[in-house]
Amino acid sequence: MIPLLLAAPLLLYMLVFYALPVLAMLLKGFGEQHWTLAHYASLADDPVFLKTFWNTLSTAALVTLGTLLLGYPVALALVRTRGVTAAIILVVILLPFWTSVLVRSYAWMVLMGRHGLINEALLAAGLIERPLRILNTSLATVIAMIHILLPYMILPIANALRQIDPSLARAASGLGASPFQAFRQVVLPLSVPGVAAGVLLVFVLSLGFYITPAMVGGPRDITLSMLIAQQVDQLNWAYAACLSTVLLATSLALIAAFQRLPGIGNAFRMNTR
Amino acid sequence: MRTPRSLSRLGRRTTLGLLGASAGAGLTAPFIRPSFAEPAWPEQTTIPDILKGSGEVRIATFGGTMQETQQKAYFEPFEKISGIKVRAFPGSDPTKIKAMVETGNVEWDLAQLSRGSIMNLQKRGDYFEKIDYDLVDAGVDKAYRFEYGLEMLVWAQVLGYRTDAFKGAKPSGWADFWDTKKFPGDRAMYGTGSGGWPELEFALLAAGVPADKLYPLDLEKGFASYDKIKKDIVKWWDTGAVPVQMLTDREVTMTTVWNGRMAALQAAGVPAAISWSQGLLKRDAWGIPKGAKNKLNAQKFVAYSTMAIPQARVSLGIPYGSVNDASNEYIPPERLEILPSAPKIKAQLVTYNYDWWIDNRDTVVNRFNKWLLG
Amino acid sequence: MRDGTSTTHGAAVALTALEKRYDSVAAVAGVSLDIRSGEFLTLLGPSGSGKTTTLMMIAGFEMPTAGDIAIDGQSVVGLPPYKRNIGMVFQNYALFPHLTVTDNIGFPLKQRGVSRAERSKLVGEALDLVHLPGYGNRYPRQLSGGQQQRVALARAIVFQPRLLLMDEPLGALDKQLRENLQLEMRRLHADLGITFIYVTHDQEEALTMSDRIAVMNEGKVAQVGRPEELYDRPASRFVAGFIGESNFLPAVVRDVDGETVVADCQGAVVRGLCRKPPDSGQSIVLSTRPERMRFADEERSDSASNRLRVTVSEAVFAGERCRYLLRTADGTSIVLKEPSSATVRRRSVGEQAEVAWPVADTILV
Repeated sequence: MIPLLLAAPLLLYMLVFYALPVLAMLLKGFGEQHWTLAHYASLADDPVFLKTFWNTLSTAALVTLGTLLLGYPVALALVRTRGVTAAIILVVILLPFWTSVLVRSYAWMVLMGRHGLINEALLAAGLIERPLRILNTSLATVIAMIHILLPYMILPIANALRQIDPSLARAASGLGASPFQAFRQVVLPLSVPGVAAGVLLVFVLSLGFYITPAMVGGPRDITLSMLIAQQVDQLNWAYAACLSTVLLATSLALIAAFQRLPGIGNAFRMNTR
Repeated sequence: MRTPRSLSRLGRRTTLGLLGASAGAGLTAPFIRPSFAEPAWPEQTTIPDILKGSGEVRIATFGGTMQETQQKAYFEPFEKISGIKVRAFPGSDPTKIKAMVETGNVEWDLAQLSRGSIMNLQKRGDYFEKIDYDLVDAGVDKAYRFEYGLEMLVWAQVLGYRTDAFKGAKPSGWADFWDTKKFPGDRAMYGTGSGGWPELEFALLAAGVPADKLYPLDLEKGFASYDKIKKDIVKWWDTGAVPVQMLTDREVTMTTVWNGRMAALQAAGVPAAISWSQGLLKRDAWGIPKGAKNKLNAQKFVAYSTMAIPQARVSLGIPYGSVNDASNEYIPPERLEILPSAPKIKAQLVTYNYDWWIDNRDTVVNRFNKWLLG
Repeated sequence: MRDGTSTTHGAAVALTALEKRYDSVAAVAGVSLDIRSGEFLTLLGPSGSGKTTTLMMIAGFEMPTAGDIAIDGQSVVGLPPYKRNIGMVFQNYALFPHLTVTDNIGFPLKQRGVSRAERSKLVGEALDLVHLPGYGNRYPRQLSGGQQQRVALARAIVFQPRLLLMDEPLGALDKQLRENLQLEMRRLHADLGITFIYVTHDQEEALTMSDRIAVMNEGKVAQVGRPEELYDRPASRFVAGFIGESNFLPAVVRDVDGETVVADCQGAVVRGLCRKPPDSGQSIVLSTRPERMRFADEERSDSASNRLRVTVSEAVFAGERCRYLLRTADGTSIVLKEPSSATVRRRSVGEQAEVAWPVADTILV
């Protein structure tokens, strides 16, 4: 009873400022004046929705993969260094957190532009003859989103790595495992909960990206969030609510799926030994 | 001391960096701060007693430099002369008005929108008060008047290009925009991102449809024309800062753009120019949200702000045109030359048909989305 | 492993002037120690004495700042841990939480490329050896502390290393379990015939299990010897105090007769054994164990015993024995432990008494 009372202010807050608006949005998806399933039914063969949804999912998948491949080694480095070096790595990781998405996107425009730093450097090095189109492509979206979302991958992995008893790596080494074998057979499997958390976080956050793809992405890179914003602006609120519901449902389904994955569920339990 | 010379120096006073200014101005604000140092704008010294009053009027604007200009051009003078306090809020948006009216919590007494967004919303219900035309100045042309709003700013969506891109050749009109052989380089056009309406007019003009036979727009022909330029469009922009940014960064050699932004770009020294030919003449409009608490004050302000002198003051601050025929008397000729309302320029422009768009927007936007992703 | 045909023999380990410094602080300050093949050697000392650091240097987890470590005559300094082929049991077991018992024990075999079938056979044998048959499919978290310890032990010996290092392996277990496992480790040591190096701060554990004990203090070896040697002939006041309980009696040297020192103590003449003869007139400390003293009011003095007059200041009955706190004339405290018996008169507080103890149990420290 008392725990419930303690949580009551937050629960009330969540109810009023989160649950009710979300519910209102869900209801809007069934029509603004009359009850109808038409909006949901039409999604299945709505080419704009399908293409946009696919764009959103594939971009999220690429960004997740990119952050994982780039972030894991950084998380390892973060955990295995001490003192000033570790502090510097942490600051570098967190720096994007403290910069507005808008400013970062402009920075990417300066870097990746037709006459930006990357192209100028490649031209100067004689590697290319004409500037590459990097900005205003899907690649630019993925690169910029990876940059923005890296901390969300690195921090949970670093946290999981930090929770691994350091004597386990020693034990592996003492039992004859080379550093690579020890990593592969002990550290990597034990960091799976962190990887799972990072993957989930980055993927779900990617689904909602809006400003970055709009600013640096290609002409056809419309994400679900962009479509929702567009439809809100076009006053098609029922359709927008319907799209929002799809986005919300996708995120929730992913979270549920991750908790049920056998390997990861197992790993989660193991950490609470 | 207002002199033509000091006005012509307007450009050199805008010293803010392009990138910084565009980042700082956010997504809706105009690009460059104009100078406010120009002395002695025309002053409105008297107004009819019927425009005077008390209390306040809460006005939603598009923020940024436009609002700063409005502050000086007519918010402050109106406060002094009418006794009505003006409170300005950036972020005017038809979706917010929809929500405010529907929830009965109307926080704005007046909003800067467009005839299109006002009528598009009005189509779905009763969201706006009727304008009291008894108060409105006779100098405001009939063309700018409609039942639920009054147009108050004239601007143009035009072709902007880099003057250093084509070895001195000057593109003129949309056929040139479409001709990437003669005028090589990437393009950017206005998309449907933030409630935008596709520039079908330009596609049709490029395909050779005469300006006077433009409306009703021929969708088949328009999208067929769009097909030809699709691969050269690197960005379907949705906010005014993007096309000027892309011209500055040489991401494109040609783009569609709002004329006010181009003036700022030129002022900052970027080798870029406007081709006024076949540009679209558009207008912003005042709308009074239904149920606004101070709607009488809003009516008075609508009338005041469209008078000749307040309108001229805006044109002096930012290169947009006046809706009051009498304003030109107060604007020096060299300034008038760069305003879309200037007779020489206006003659080259095509007047945007809000009524057609109000009826057809959903169809066109949906088709555009499908066409873009298909 | 246990079959008679095993050719395994324990590794001989030689530590020579081994040092480990962190910045300017020496954790290990010059340790030289020869550990014989097949020996059960315990490094015993208080925390911070350098025993674990020494062990970690043998395992290869720490690099010595100076000195050498040789296994069977070959220096292993510079060899990474995974190339040293040493079994190791950690303080907290360090079982891999994501692997079953079978996979934990099979881990060192897998690293060595042992085939799956062979692995399964060896793991089975190791489980039998530590009395855990049938536990192979469990995860470490499903085992009790003692069972986890056995798995760690099985994992450390399954690949037949010739040297097994153990870092306070029983520290986290309760007393009963600890005693059982101590016996099992002795048995395993006897069965396997390999060299054990065992680190503990528990002197009783060290005394029970070890062939030899190296007592460490402040980064150095204070004394090395068999348990009874350390107990009966502590070489220093530190060793005498750290291993078992000792009474320390200040005295002044009157005479030295071979290995026997004759000294004045509290107005009496006492004799003790010394390794190096002190100078006449020197102030010394003689030590003796509480259980080697007895009340001797009714006895006649003899030349094999020392005697002192004392006052009883505290008497505690502790079941199998009585423990008395006594004071000499100048206030020095002495502890005396007497086996309890209905036939022995218990002393009461304030009572005057005379205590005696053998000269052979009196050591100059």
